[in-house]
Amino acid sequence: MYDKTVRRRRAVLVLLVVLSLLLLTAYFGEAPGGRLHAVQRGFLTVVSPIQDGANKALKPVRDLFGWFGDTLHAKGQRNELRKQVEKLRGEQVADQAEKRSYHELLSLFHLDNQLSVANYHPVTATVVGITPNIWYSTVTIDKGGADGVRLNDPVINGEGLVGKVTQVASDGAQVSLITDSTVGVSARIGTGNATGIVQPKVGDPNTLLLQYLPVNTQASPGENVVTSGTVAASDNSLYPPGIPIGQVTSVNEESAYKSVNVRPFANLHNLDVVQVLTSVAGSLPANLSKLALGLPAGQSSGASGERLASTGAAG
Amino acid sequence: MSGSHVSGSLLLRIAALSVALVFVQIGVVSELPLFGVSVDLSPLLVAFVGLLCGSTLGALAGFSVGLLVDLALVQTLGVTSLIFTLIGYWSGRLRELRDPQAALTPLLVGAIASAVSLVGYSVIEFLLGVDAPVSFVLLRQILLGIVVNTIVAMPVWALVRRALEGGLPEDPRRRRRRRAYTTGGLSPLSRT
Repeated sequence: MYDKTVRRRRAVLVLLVVLSLLLLTAYFGEAPGGRLHAVQRGFLTVVSPIQDGANKALKPVRDLFGWFGDTLHAKGQRNELRKQVEKLRGEQVADQAEKRSYHELLSLFHLDNQLSVANYHPVTATVVGITPNIWYSTVTIDKGGADGVRLNDPVINGEGLVGKVTQVASDGAQVSLITDSTVGVSARIGTGNATGIVQPKVGDPNTLLLQYLPVNTQASPGENVVTSGTVAASDNSLYPPGIPIGQVTSVNEESAYKSVNVRPFANLHNLDVVQVLTSVAGSLPANLSKLALGLPAGQSSGASGERLASTGAAG
Repeated sequence: MSGSHVSGSLLLRIAALSVALVFVQIGVVSELPLFGVSVDLSPLLVAFVGLLCGSTLGALAGFSVGLLVDLALVQTLGVTSLIFTLIGYWSGRLRELRDPQAALTPLLVGAIASAVSLVGYSVIEFLLGVDAPVSFVLLRQILLGIVVNTIVAMPVWALVRRALEGGLPEDPRRRRRRRAYTTGGLSPLSRT
């Protein structure tokens, strides 16, 4: 009895395996139009409607499971997209900063070409700190004595004059802006010869005052105010001539001198990249500076203004 | 289980369950990927039929389900039949020789059946000249297929056992085991 069962079991196995191999061989060997293929197509024709019906009947089940899957997938996608948004936001901020720096550098480049400030050995620096105190108009830059920056070196950006160096460290420096009360700049209106001193207007830190102009000076709103290129008496600082400072907004008639209100060109509230003009020894500005200092008092151009400037505002 | 004790009811249940599961597989389960691969209920069904009904019925069920799958999915006829026949026979012999009673037996059987199915199918396809390289991706898919099939093995086992329970004849060995438990002093009821 046992042998019979075993024999039958083995016979069934062998039969099924052989049948499978025969099917496989025959199907694999025959052309697509063969009998087995035809049987398969016929079976498909028969079961297609059943499959279709089953498919429709089971659609809610599939949708239910699909909903779970989609929800999990959506959550995964959401988390991934959040990470992407954070990353892109960071990149956008960096890009904006780089774009701003690029425009400033481009402006500086144009200004360089226009004014030939390359002769003054400009050192490009990045503003790394702005004094939060409204009483002091100073910024900190990332270049200092190690880069050739010296006290009282003029600082410009693509729009015009920014200020001058008032503190120097090895790897950084503090720049007092032209709106700071300690800064005074010899300047003139347009192409005229008359010079005066630009200083902040008391009570209005965003407006400059070009004062000590001769009474007969012709000035009208809209004219540009530029540096006159004179030398301060108290130090070697030299503002190259022709650097834009601002635009005349109004003219004040006074008894002894004439003064004009000036709106600065440089956006001093949003500084990023600046240039420090480091006129090293031997350069044209340095030589001019040396020559000017060697002259007797009163012979250098704009001497009165310089003296006045040196009393409270070196420049 | 010898062939002589097979009832028509059991054969009918196996056939109905096979057709139903194959259509559910094609219509629903194949469209719900888990970890990037679809669960394949067919080898689990064949293995569990073998585990419940023995080697002969397991092999027959394997051949039939394989043929149904090959026909319905328009695959090379005979490939799935051959693999499923071996799976059904092996799981049936496992029951006949070892009669494993551990709760995790279906899990292990399901994993092995899935592995044999996936690897065997790949090997035969390669032998038939399918132009596909043996890559890490392929191996990963096979491994993932085994994992997801193992995950669903227990529910499928419960379903198959439930469906075939009424048609299964009384197993003498299990009957003896049950009798020993209830009359051998081990049952709390026997102490009263």
